[in-house]
Amino acid sequence: MDFGFTPEQEALRRDVQAFIAENLTPEVLAEMDGLSEGFGVRPGRARGGHVEKLFAKIGARGWLGISYPKEYGGRDGDRISQYIVEEEFARADIAVGLGGSGGPAILAAGTEEQKRHFVPKLISGEYSFALGFTEPHAGADLASLQCRAVRDGDEYVINGQKMYTSAAHVATHMYLMARTNPNVPKHRGISIFLFPMDTPGVTVRPLWTIQNDPRAPIGTTYGTPRTNETFFDDVRIPASALLGRENEGWKVGAMGLNLDRVGAARYLISVRRDEDIVNFTKSTRFDGYSPAQDPAIRDKIAELWIEAQVCRLMTMRSMSIVEHGGNFTYEGSAEKVWAPEHGVRTTEAIAQMLGPYGQLLNGSPAAVERGVFAHNLMGSFQSGINHGSVQVMHDQVARRGLDMPRS
Amino acid sequence: MDTTLTEEEAMIRQSARRFLEAECNTRLVREMEKDPKGYPPELWRKAAELGWQGLALPEAYGGSDMPLVYLGLVLEEVGRALAPLPLHSTVVAALTLAAEGTEAQRAAVLPRTAAGETVLTFACYEQDPRLTLSGVQARAVADGDSFVLNGIKRFVDNFAAADFCLVACRTADATPGSDGLSLLLVDTRSEGISDNPLVTLAKDRQSEVTFRNVRVPKTNLVGTLHQAAPAIERMLDRATALLCAQMLGAARKDMEMAVEWAKYRKAFGQPIGAFQSLQHMAADMLIWIDGGNLLTYEALWKMDQGLPAAVEVSQAKAFCNEKCEAVVRYGQIIHGGIGFMQEFDLQLWFRRVTSWTMRFGTAYEHRARIARALLDVPGRVVLGQPLPTAG
Ligand SMILES: Cc1cc2nc3c(=O)[nH]c(=O)nc-3n(C[C@H](O)[C@H](O)[C@H](O)COP(=O)(O)OP(=O)(O)OC[C@H]3O[C@@H](n4cnc5c(N)ncnc54)[C@H](O)[C@@H]3O)c2cc1C
Repeated sequence: MDFGFTPEQEALRRDVQAFIAENLTPEVLAEMDGLSEGFGVRPGRARGGHVEKLFAKIGARGWLGISYPKEYGGRDGDRISQYIVEEEFARADIAVGLGGSGGPAILAAGTEEQKRHFVPKLISGEYSFALGFTEPHAGADLASLQCRAVRDGDEYVINGQKMYTSAAHVATHMYLMARTNPNVPKHRGISIFLFPMDTPGVTVRPLWTIQNDPRAPIGTTYGTPRTNETFFDDVRIPASALLGRENEGWKVGAMGLNLDRVGAARYLISVRRDEDIVNFTKSTRFDGYSPAQDPAIRDKIAELWIEAQVCRLMTMRSMSIVEHGGNFTYEGSAEKVWAPEHGVRTTEAIAQMLGPYGQLLNGSPAAVERGVFAHNLMGSFQSGINHGSVQVMHDQVARRGLDMPRS
Repeated sequence: MDTTLTEEEAMIRQSARRFLEAECNTRLVREMEKDPKGYPPELWRKAAELGWQGLALPEAYGGSDMPLVYLGLVLEEVGRALAPLPLHSTVVAALTLAAEGTEAQRAAVLPRTAAGETVLTFACYEQDPRLTLSGVQARAVADGDSFVLNGIKRFVDNFAAADFCLVACRTADATPGSDGLSLLLVDTRSEGISDNPLVTLAKDRQSEVTFRNVRVPKTNLVGTLHQAAPAIERMLDRATALLCAQMLGAARKDMEMAVEWAKYRKAFGQPIGAFQSLQHMAADMLIWIDGGNLLTYEALWKMDQGLPAAVEVSQAKAFCNEKCEAVVRYGQIIHGGIGFMQEFDLQLWFRRVTSWTMRFGTAYEHRARIARALLDVPGRVVLGQPLPTAG
C-alpha cells in the first residue's frame, strides 16, 4: 500500500494549479458560465474565443488524454497523473478527462480504424458522443431496449427512440445501443454503433430539466439544463459503424460503463461540493451567527468530510486496480453506491445548515454562492440514478462481491 | 498511489490468517472469556515466534523494524479470529517506549517483549469517558529518587496479565508552555496497586486500577517531565488506528458469516440471501468495511511516513465506530433469532466489535477533532491535500 503521489505527480499538480490560476481570467469565466452542462466545460463545446483558446493551451501542455496511448493522440502516461490533471481542472469546472465519452470502450473493443478515427478527436474535443442507451421503456433494465438495427447489405437500418440523450444537441456523433437480434435472451442480441449525428433520419428534441430555469450556476453537480429525446427513422449507417462484434454490444457497453464509473468521473463531481461546503461554512457569518461555531453543524461537517475521504479512497482503489491491469469484481459498483449516496447526504445537510437561504436559486437576491447549494440539491440524486442506479449497483456488489444468489 | 497490497503485505496477512485458523478456534475464545488472565501463554509465545510483538519494534531490541501498516494487517487477523491475545495493549505500549523511552528503559523491556516473555499495557482513561488529556487527574509527586503516584485509572486493558503499565499522570499544573503531564513506566506488582476487573461486553480483561502512594523510580519517567501530552497523544493515535484494524478484521468476518448464512437459510421457498433487501444490507456491510479499511490504512501509512495523521486517525475511528457497529447489527438481523443465542458463535464477534466501537474516542469526539482541523484554522481546505496548519 502506498497512499502518496510521486514527486513527478506532485510537480504536475502544481503546474496545473499554476496554469489555472494564470489562465482562468474573468473573461474566460464569464464565457464558461453559459457553457457548463453540469459536468464541466468540455473541449469542443466552446463557442467563444476565450474558452477555445484556453483549451488550445491545455492541449499544447499535453494535458488532454494523458493516459491514452500516444498512437491515438494520448501521452502514454499513467492513470494517476491523468487523474491529478482531471481533479485540478474539475475544481475549475473544466472537463479534461474522457469520462462518459465512449473513448475507453472504443480503445477496448474498436477496430484499428475506429481507434485511429475517433480517439484522437475525442481527446482534442473535435468529436464528442451523445450516449444513446436509455429508452422510454428501458432504463435501469437497459438490456430490455427495443431500438432496432437491421442489417441490409453493407448497411444497418436503425429505427426507434432514445431518451435522455443528454449531449445529442451538441455532440458530433451518436454512441447507440440497439437490438440486432430479438430472438435470443435480451443481453445477447444487442450491438453498439457509432455514427454522425447529422445522418439523415436522426431527430433530436429537447427535454428541459429543472436546472434550466433559472440556469444552474457553474460548479453545480448535475446542473444539466437540457437533455433530449432522439428519434431514429430508417437511419442508414455503414456496417463499419459497428463497435465490437454484432450481438456482443452488452459486453462492450458494460465495459465502457464500468470504465466510466471509475476514476475521476464519480468522485470529481462531488469534490467541488465537499470542499465548497467546508470553505463556505468557515468563511461565512450571518450578522452575529457563525455556522462554523455551531456544534451540530461542526459534527455534520466532519461526518461529511469523512465520507468524502471514503469517496476519494474508493476512487484511488479503482485506479490502483486499473493501474495493475486488473478487473473490478465489485469495486466500481461500490464506488457508484457510495459516492452518489454521499452526494445526496451532503446537499441535504447544507440545506439544513442554510435554512431559508438554501432555497434561493441562481440570480435571486440574497442567494448564497449564486444558489449553487440549492441547484446541487436538485441535481445530486441524479448521480444515483444514471450510469447504473444505486439500487442496481447494490445488487452488483452483493452478487459479484459477495456471491449472493439471484432471486 | 496504490491501495492494493504488495506481495509482502499479502503474505503477512495470509500467514497470520493461517496461523490463527490453526491455533485459535471459538472454543479457545470462549474459554478465555472466563480465564482470569484472559490469554493462553502458549499462544502468546507462538505469536512471538512469528515475530508479532516485535514486528514494528527496532531491530536493535529484537524487533523487525516493519511499518505500522504490517502491524495493522496482523491485528486485522487477530480481530478476525478474535484471538485472545494481549497484543494490542502490548504493542502500543512497546512502540511508545521505543519512541520516547530512555536507552535503559528500552533495553530492559523491549527485547523481552519481542520474545513474548512479557505483557504490557497503558493507562489514560479515568472518570471522563472522553479520550481527552484534560481527564487525567492521577497525580505523581517527586519524592527523593521516586515519584509517588495516586489516582484511579479505568478501562486499562490486560492489567492482570501485564508486567508493566505506562501511566499518564499529572506531575504539575498546566501552565502556558507546559501541559504538566508525564508518562511513567509502572511495574504492575508495585506496592499500593489494586486491580478491580470490569465486566465488559467483550468479556475481555479491562480493569479499574487504583494507585495509592505507589512509588515509581524516577528512572522510569518516559519522555519529558511535565511535557508528555504530545507523546501521549501519539500513543493514543497509534492505539486508535491499530484498534480500527482489529475491529475491521472482526467486522469483516462477521459479514462473511452473515453472507454464508443468507445463502444457506431458506424462507418463502428461497435462500434469504436472494431477497434484494438483504442483498443491499450485505452490500452496505462490504462497502462500509472497505471504506473503514481504506481510511485506517491511510492513517497508518501516514504515521509510517512521519506525516501528521491525527485527522486521518479520527476519520478512521469515527467511521469505524458507527459503520462497524452497523455491520455487526446487520449480521445479527440477517441471522434472525439464532444470532442471539449464546451457543451460536456469531455473538462472540457482535459483542467484541460493539465494545471496541466505544474505546479510544467516540464518533462525536473524533468528529470534533476533525471539525477543529477543518473549521478553526484559516485557509481553504482541499480534498486529498494536507489541511491548512496554524501559523
Ligand atoms: C440528467 C440525465 C442525463 C442522462 N443522460 C443520459 C444519456 O446521456 N444517455 C442515456 O442513455 N441515458 C441518460 N440518462 C438516463 C439514465 O441513465 C436513466 O435515467 C437511468 O438508467 C434510469 O432509468 P429510468 O429513468 O428509466 O428509471 P427506471 O429504470 O424506471 O428506474 C426507476 C427506479 O426503479 C429502480 N429499479 C429499477 N430496477 C430495479 C431493481 N432491479 N431493483 C431495485 N430497484 C430497481 C431504479 O433504481 C429507480 O430508482 C440520463 C438521465 C438523466 C436524469
